[in-house]
Amino acid sequence: MYSRFYLSVLLISGLVLITFLVFATYRELNPEWKKYQLEYRDLLIKNAPNEAARKKARSIKIEHQQIYIKPLKKVDRCMNCHRGVDDPLMKDAKVPHKLHSGDYLKKHPVSKFGCTLCHYGQGRATNKKDAHGKGRDTHWDYPLIPFKYIQSSCAKCHDYLFLKDNGGEMVVEGERLFREKGCRGCHKLNGVGGDLGKPLDIIGSQPIAYFPMKYVVGERNTYNWLKQHFLDPRKIVPGSEMRVFLSEKEADLLTTYTLTLRAEEMPRQFRAIRYTTPVPKDGESLYKMYCVACHGNGKISAYDEILKRTIPAIMNPAFLKIADDKNLERIIKEGRKGTPMTSWKRTAAGLRDEEIRNIIKFITKDRPDERPEPFDYKRFVTDTKHGKELFNVRCALCHGKDGKGGKDHLGLNLRNPAVQKFVDPEFLAMTIRDGRKGTPMPAFGKTGVGLSDQDIADLVAYIRSFSDKGKK
Amino acid sequence: MRCLRRRSITVFLFSVVFLTAVVMLIIRDTESSYAVEDILKLGKKVYEQRCLICHGKDGDGKGLVGVLRRTELSGRTIETLPRDFTIGVFRFRSTPTGCLPTDEDLLKIIDHGIKRSFMPSHKKELTLEEKKAVISYIKTFSERWEEEEPCDPIPVKKPPWVGSPSSIEKGKRVYKDMKCWECHGYEGRGDGPKAEKLKDDWGKRIWPFDFTTGELKRGTSPENIYITFTTGLDGTGMPSYEDSLSEEDRWHLVSYTLKLMGMVGKKKE
Repeated sequence: MYSRFYLSVLLISGLVLITFLVFATYRELNPEWKKYQLEYRDLLIKNAPNEAARKKARSIKIEHQQIYIKPLKKVDRCMNCHRGVDDPLMKDAKVPHKLHSGDYLKKHPVSKFGCTLCHYGQGRATNKKDAHGKGRDTHWDYPLIPFKYIQSSCAKCHDYLFLKDNGGEMVVEGERLFREKGCRGCHKLNGVGGDLGKPLDIIGSQPIAYFPMKYVVGERNTYNWLKQHFLDPRKIVPGSEMRVFLSEKEADLLTTYTLTLRAEEMPRQFRAIRYTTPVPKDGESLYKMYCVACHGNGKISAYDEILKRTIPAIMNPAFLKIADDKNLERIIKEGRKGTPMTSWKRTAAGLRDEEIRNIIKFITKDRPDERPEPFDYKRFVTDTKHGKELFNVRCALCHGKDGKGGKDHLGLNLRNPAVQKFVDPEFLAMTIRDGRKGTPMPAFGKTGVGLSDQDIADLVAYIRSFSDKGKK
Repeated sequence: MRCLRRRSITVFLFSVVFLTAVVMLIIRDTESSYAVEDILKLGKKVYEQRCLICHGKDGDGKGLVGVLRRTELSGRTIETLPRDFTIGVFRFRSTPTGCLPTDEDLLKIIDHGIKRSFMPSHKKELTLEEKKAVISYIKTFSERWEEEEPCDPIPVKKPPWVGSPSSIEKGKRVYKDMKCWECHGYEGRGDGPKAEKLKDDWGKRIWPFDFTTGELKRGTSPENIYITFTTGLDGTGMPSYEDSLSEEDRWHLVSYTLKLMGMVGKKKE
């Protein structure tokens, strides 16, 4: 005998199942895009210029649209909602039926290029939210690109010479800013550049998880991260030492350029690169590319709040008068270990000897012709202990008791290898004697404080003794 | 015969006592004036060794070091000269606005230095006697020290609710009503509408503090911020709010300032 209870259970579960099936069938028969395609068909019928066109419009099939781009193995289903994107009749229609702007589709037909190649988003999705990729719950790393950055996609296949006059002004301008703001002073690109920041080679195509998104305002995607990081690096990455001061417009342009640095390379048949921008070799361009972010125009020596140390003025004529090219080359090549000054030699940051020499030529172009009064260091017998006494009274105030300088100190770090090993003692002695005009370093010789040459020689001996091992 | 002897002894004794007193008075006077001169001499020696190179021979800030430059977080480069003592106007005091600082104020500056200003700390390098001597010597640079006496310092007592969210809210209202944003900007970044026009007492451009920059020159404890509001920073464009704000409102402003600097009100990660 069948229990009444089990019968009712069977009945109810059967009803639930049927309801579910009906519901699923309804959903399957009425996907989100069906509505848009019906709208599109109605628009076509309404705006048909003649009876033949109207008949054709009526016979449009409402079906799933898909473009498969074989060389890229891409599937784009955007046409499901944007069916009118290449229909000239849709010029004045509302989005999503509106015709694509400009005449891009003439040279880049949808059937060959698809949509996500330039606009990103998730091509395989069949509903708006997942297709556009916006929001964390879509789990898509490359959402629809904001229109202000769209020109970065052009650079995937076209060269900058072409883009300059053909609708790519923003990305060309972004590339120029990148070259002239000294970004590679801290960031490597193609293996050449400083190592204080992360390498930029594929930053435009990194997934969202690559970026620290905690302090990003608004939607958390690559575009917002890049733009907000350009405007205020320390807000997005606390403790960052990035020195960049950009207007909003410049930040947008640089973001456009940064998005061109991607991992994927377009297959041959897509690329239309006929011209590669030559890498600049002259001193001024190199200086702007690598040095400008920290040294600025090189004329002013100022304590920097971001790096928490004084940045020397490398184009200060008083400095150039004493510094000779050989020592400059050594300092640039070896860098200053423990400071933001990178080692620029070929095996480190990647600059070739010729490039470094060009930079030095540029830096020293304003060197005054007159030679400084020589200091015959070798003829003195030095007393390091007396030098120490003098140092503690005269020098420790600005350079710190241990000569380290650094945070909150006006003076540079004297224990640095550049001071200890890469310059001759004569350079140090002349600096102490004559000071450095244009910086806070006063003259301690007879033109200033009045120390004798013997005093100065003792000081130099003491300063150089910092690098003696075992002493102190 | 006996009478005469007694009298002459009395006269002799009196004159001895009298002469001794006179001599002692004279000696004591010269001793005290020697003491003052000694102090000034020691002060001058310390000054010439440690202070002259920035503050100059005449205490006018035009020492050999010259202009000090600093680039802030926002990229603007600020030029300052070392302090000029000849006017007798000082920023960091505990006395009301318009008054001279007390000796303790000056001693504090010598001991701690001033952050972000390259005034180094001389705490360990000088003895207390030397520091007091150099303070006396610095006073000789301005006539104001001869004409006036420093006023009484303002007492500072921090209430326990400083830094609480309700205090921050009230402080925000005070910031808006008292128009602090005209110079300091809405977010405290030193970019208010009046920021471009400020000049200090020496006629040089001066910038309002950018609260996101880092530490305050005087130190960033709540007590220090309170004292700044109360005494004003004489010589700069920062006025004193002792008369225009109640003590409680000033402490609310302290809470809000701490929040602008990111030192309170943010969840710790």
